[in-house]
Amino acid sequence: MNIEDVFSSKLRVKILKILAQVGELNVSEIARRLGVNYKTTNKHLKILEDEGVVQHKVFGRIRLYRFNERSPKARAVQNFMEAWEHANKQ
Amino acid sequence: MPQYRSVFKDETKLDINYVPYRLPHRDKELRLLMEFFSFILQFPEKMTQRVMITGDVGTGKTVLSQRFGADITREANKRGISLRYVHVNCREYRGNLFLILHHVVSIFHPNFPRRGYSAEELLRILLQILDEENTYVILTLDEFESLVEREGSEAVYKLTRLQEIRANKPQRLSLICILRNLKIIERLDPSTKSTLQSNIISLEKYSKQQLMDILNDRVSLAFNPLTVPEDTVSLIAELAFSEGGNARLGIELLWRAGKYADAEDLGIVTPECVRKAASSIYAVMRKSDLAFLNVHEKLFLLGVARFFKGSQKAYASLAEIERAYAVVCEEFDVHPHSHTQLWKYLQMLSARGIVQKKVSATGSRGRSTLIYLPRISAYELEKELSMLLEKGEA
Repeated sequence: MNIEDVFSSKLRVKILKILAQVGELNVSEIARRLGVNYKTTNKHLKILEDEGVVQHKVFGRIRLYRFNERSPKARAVQNFMEAWEHANKQ
Repeated sequence: MPQYRSVFKDETKLDINYVPYRLPHRDKELRLLMEFFSFILQFPEKMTQRVMITGDVGTGKTVLSQRFGADITREANKRGISLRYVHVNCREYRGNLFLILHHVVSIFHPNFPRRGYSAEELLRILLQILDEENTYVILTLDEFESLVEREGSEAVYKLTRLQEIRANKPQRLSLICILRNLKIIERLDPSTKSTLQSNIISLEKYSKQQLMDILNDRVSLAFNPLTVPEDTVSLIAELAFSEGGNARLGIELLWRAGKYADAEDLGIVTPECVRKAASSIYAVMRKSDLAFLNVHEKLFLLGVARFFKGSQKAYASLAEIERAYAVVCEEFDVHPHSHTQLWKYLQMLSARGIVQKKVSATGSRGRSTLIYLPRISAYELEKELSMLLEKGEA
């Protein structure tokens, strides 16, 4: 997927922003924070996971999503978001 | 402008959550705990342990467990073993096993959801996390009574047995249960009881001398040199001992007394500061207790209050109080009662807990009775008695 396709979705950018802030979250809670339903959230998380930006762990019925620590793409996104937030505060 | 100088060097050392490096008079129990858990430092995956620590309020159950937790974690980490010590107060979680386990899981995954699964599932999740991170946990369940009261045998059974039935997997979760006495354990079914009752550490209540050692340790950590006289420490130890050897209360009194000393810019923590501290902690003596006394009992007590108000001492002999009483009688224009009668007043006031008495250490001149004010400031007591005597309510 091209970079413009990945970041063309406001919801995907919001998901990345949430994960950058809290570190790790389950699908229902991400959906609640986005204000959209579970299915839509799942769809966007799958796109981000296919791109290697996020990863998940399964605990029983719970799936926890976080940035993929081994992915250079994930590190780049985290750095970009951090720099953006920092600049906004100045 | 005069410079303010606090008696405190570091008052955080008197905080309820502070865990000192040295635990006076609990070395034996600490060593025993280390013995029970020594396997963790050699073959942690092979077994788990369950220990119960019992003792009255303020006997050092929590601090003993926390000191042990910090020591064994440091030792395990030195040996490359990933060990976490987790201390949970069950009452804080209303004795709910799910909430307790959620707290433990949250240490590893802080945003773990709170809904959608059972306590048993959560326990499996915890074991999965520990397997994935190759970590071992010593879970301390403080105020264990509230877990048993709410959840009964089932919760304890789950905590102890669930991991045992995992085939070919390492043992991950050990337990320390802290409770006041073992009565509550009788409520558990026999098999659960038997899994718990093998290792019990009972903490005896501290003696007055032991309390003094504990308080002196804290004084040297928390206060500037020469700001807390020995008499002050002795009075606090006396009060803490009379409340079931409660070291926690003693430390609380020490901190409050320091605050009173600072508030009045005394530069020294006097016995009167301790009495003020005590009266702020305990329910202040009820006025009806004083109103019930006859005139001479009131005058005698007024003598006690005046003596301590005008002195930096924590204890007074009966002879000293008799002299103070004679002055009070002169002031109120009444004839003082005899020594024998005053001795009776002292017995009665002591029995009601208004004053306290103790026998002094034996010396070359024999034993004598020392009197002290346990729970009320001399200033407040004098004010209250003077008002009653002037009103002529006796």
